[in-house]
Amino acid sequence: MKEMCTVRLGTSMFGVPITHILEIVGAARPQPVPLAPIFVGGLVHYRGDVLTTVSLRQLLDMPPKEGRQDLLVLESAGGIFGLLVDSVSEVLTVSSTDYEPNPSILDQRRKALFAGAYKLKDSLLVMLDPDQLDPMRLSASKVA
Amino acid sequence: MDELTREFLIENQEGLDRMEHCLTDLEERPKDEGLIGEIFRAVHTIKGTTGFLGFKRLEHLAHAGENLLGLLRDGRLTADPPTVTGLLKLLDGLRSILKTIEADGSEGEGEDAVLIGYLEELQAPAQAPVKHPAHARASTYAASAPSVEAPPAPPPAKQGPHLAKPAEPLPASMAPAESLGETLRSRPQVSAAESTLRVDVTLLNRMMNLVGELVLTRNQVLQATSADPNMTMLSRRLDMVTADLRENVMKARMQPVSNIFSKIPRIVRDLSQALNRRVRVQVEGQDTELDKSLLEAIKDPLTHAVRNSLDHGIEPPDVRRAAGKDPEGTLKLKASQEGSHVVIEVSDDGAGINVEKVRQKAIERGLITTDRAAHLAERELLQLVFLPGFSTAAAVTNVSGRGVGMDVVRANVEKIGGKVEIDSRTGKGTTLRMRIPLTLAIIPALIVRSINQSFALPQGALSELVHIPPEEASAIEWIENAPLYRLRGKLLPLVFLDRLLMPGKEHKSVSERDNFIAVLDADGRRFGLVVDGLADPEEIVVKPLSAVLKDIGLFSGATVLGNADLALILDPGLIALKAGVSLHEEEAVNVGESETEADESKGMEFLLVEAAGRQAAVPLTDVLRIEQLPLSRIEYIGYRPVLNFEGQLLPVEDSGGVLAAAEGNPQAKIIVVVCREGNRHVGIAVSHVLDVAAGSDLFEAGTDQRTGGVTLLKSRVTGVVDLSAVAPLPASEQAPAEWSRIAETVA
Repeated sequence: MKEMCTVRLGTSMFGVPITHILEIVGAARPQPVPLAPIFVGGLVHYRGDVLTTVSLRQLLDMPPKEGRQDLLVLESAGGIFGLLVDSVSEVLTVSSTDYEPNPSILDQRRKALFAGAYKLKDSLLVMLDPDQLDPMRLSASKVA
Repeated sequence: MDELTREFLIENQEGLDRMEHCLTDLEERPKDEGLIGEIFRAVHTIKGTTGFLGFKRLEHLAHAGENLLGLLRDGRLTADPPTVTGLLKLLDGLRSILKTIEADGSEGEGEDAVLIGYLEELQAPAQAPVKHPAHARASTYAASAPSVEAPPAPPPAKQGPHLAKPAEPLPASMAPAESLGETLRSRPQVSAAESTLRVDVTLLNRMMNLVGELVLTRNQVLQATSADPNMTMLSRRLDMVTADLRENVMKARMQPVSNIFSKIPRIVRDLSQALNRRVRVQVEGQDTELDKSLLEAIKDPLTHAVRNSLDHGIEPPDVRRAAGKDPEGTLKLKASQEGSHVVIEVSDDGAGINVEKVRQKAIERGLITTDRAAHLAERELLQLVFLPGFSTAAAVTNVSGRGVGMDVVRANVEKIGGKVEIDSRTGKGTTLRMRIPLTLAIIPALIVRSINQSFALPQGALSELVHIPPEEASAIEWIENAPLYRLRGKLLPLVFLDRLLMPGKEHKSVSERDNFIAVLDADGRRFGLVVDGLADPEEIVVKPLSAVLKDIGLFSGATVLGNADLALILDPGLIALKAGVSLHEEEAVNVGESETEADESKGMEFLLVEAAGRQAAVPLTDVLRIEQLPLSRIEYIGYRPVLNFEGQLLPVEDSGGVLAAAEGNPQAKIIVVVCREGNRHVGIAVSHVLDVAAGSDLFEAGTDQRTGGVTLLKSRVTGVVDLSAVAPLPASEQAPAEWSRIAETVA
């Protein structure tokens, strides 16, 4: 039994294990960084530090969206960074019996970023792996 | 690891460091009792506390050392080189065990019998190894370790930062007053020991962060309250207190360079023995201070430079003698403060760098073409040693290390914002110079606007600002698509920030907008950065950027502005590189430039300005700089407008009515030409700076009289601003009462 924080991106729902989440910040306004790699959403000020954020939309090649974005402050092996999503929803408890590993039809990038999925009552909660979302990791693997 | 062990380690590592210093001095002064005493104490301390903690290896090793030292102390043995070597070996042995304890929590399974045997052998010349009971020793030497009879009681863990060790009299042993005094006096380094505290570095780092946050908050408060007159006093006080606090916290992190210099004599001793060199070490400026983290960062470069000097610089004694030099070479370590930098020099009087060999090697390694190499001056050839993959050693010796070249030295120094240069003269010697910036994380910056964002430009590289409104766009010249600006006769290459940051997009041309040129000087690359707008200067806290963003190669960090926006910090050096600004000085343009000037006599040069519709001229030689400021910066003493530059008051002359015209709009941009007049500075408020041109004299018709106060500039009669007519500010001899009365009427 694990607890997952769900986030929405368009019509899809993704999950992040709450163990990696430091904080959820609503209505984030990241400062754009010129010439930054495509997956970088911008900079945010968080408790005295300037965090680099990753835009999940840009990472998954989805079209840009106007309006509010929420921010998940995540901690990975590489440090603290932010993940920009459309909105943050509730925390769900999932059980390992509902777990499905990544299907083989996924493209390279998604295979690296997704860590399987949990079957929910009438939808699929795709799991994200925070360590793979770390900007340093993304830049090194040139996935994005 | 528990508190007790941790403190044991810290104390003894420090003791061993002191011991090392004393040992190298001991070789010069073998009879110095103070040194012997100090060394004895260090070993004794270790031995004393080991029993309690159960470190058997340390105990045995220390015991053997203590025996030897006892003989030295009693004068039954002299500290000759083999003995000192033995003691150094003892030191290394003890150190390595301490390191193992630090890493694994226990002593490990090493074998010390050989070392102990060696130490015992050294004792042979004296009669029998004398074995005094530990107690007797303590009573003579007021040992500073809380060991011996009383159970070793390190200060209780809750105390946190504990007192550094002055020679505390032991509870049990009765140290006679004089030997205590002797002990205190003979301690070489512990000068202010009684008035210092040992503080955890993490704690200090946290304090620095907090102060940084305070600076940001202060900036925000200042911005938010700038309009409210009631808050200005409070804001100003907050400002002062914050600045003070910041300065003091930064001072707390400063340490003298002797901390890293002190390791060098030992290294030099070991190396000179290994390489058959005779070297004396001279140290200057040991008290110069540097932030702890910066000191850490240059420790390795320093060591490497010293190794290089001994390996490749200083020649063996016979070679030196043959060359007419003193067979003993000199290695000089010097630290000094130059403005906002600390300069650390490592110099030797060795053979110098063979520039020819450098050239050959560089060509061989494919680092440079033969063609190019032929054109390089000696100075530039020397810089080649910093290229990665370079090494002129015929065989890469063990001493200087494989693959650790000058490029690593440079990289390490540049990482902390410093610079390194090398100077050499064949046959005379080589000097390596490292310039390290003093200030760390808080720097003064100018905020500029481009592509609808704010960016921070460090003031260190900024020399002046030039405003070019759209109607004067022709001042920006284009030579083969490269934009240039003629700044006082010299051509300044321009870099448009918006085009650099958004290369694909269409940007407004210069004639369609206001252009502001920030003249920057980044390590010899001089250029003008063109931005859309200027905001106030601010003291910013530099926050690090993740490597992903650093790799873009334009930004050196990020900061939070007074208005709570985030701003990226531009790096002038990187911008220059990216934009391809060359190192060479921009070509000076010949006087007699534009063809429209009819007769271009060798007139004096003037800065042509405009104030409220009329043009005026300021002698160029008197112009110091051009300031662009918001009207809110202008303050008043009585009715006189002045500018305050960090406590320096500049009277502002406004006969053109520029300030009056802008009244009511605190954000209005005022241009002040700062000039030198006699031995003071004055400012002239203008609406625009138009041009620089040579003026010719004018004569009154019918006479040979030169008309004063005017000049012919660009075929127009132009009045010359009379700087001496600007009234001086009230001097401090004025009665304080009257002064404060004036100040009050303003407030």
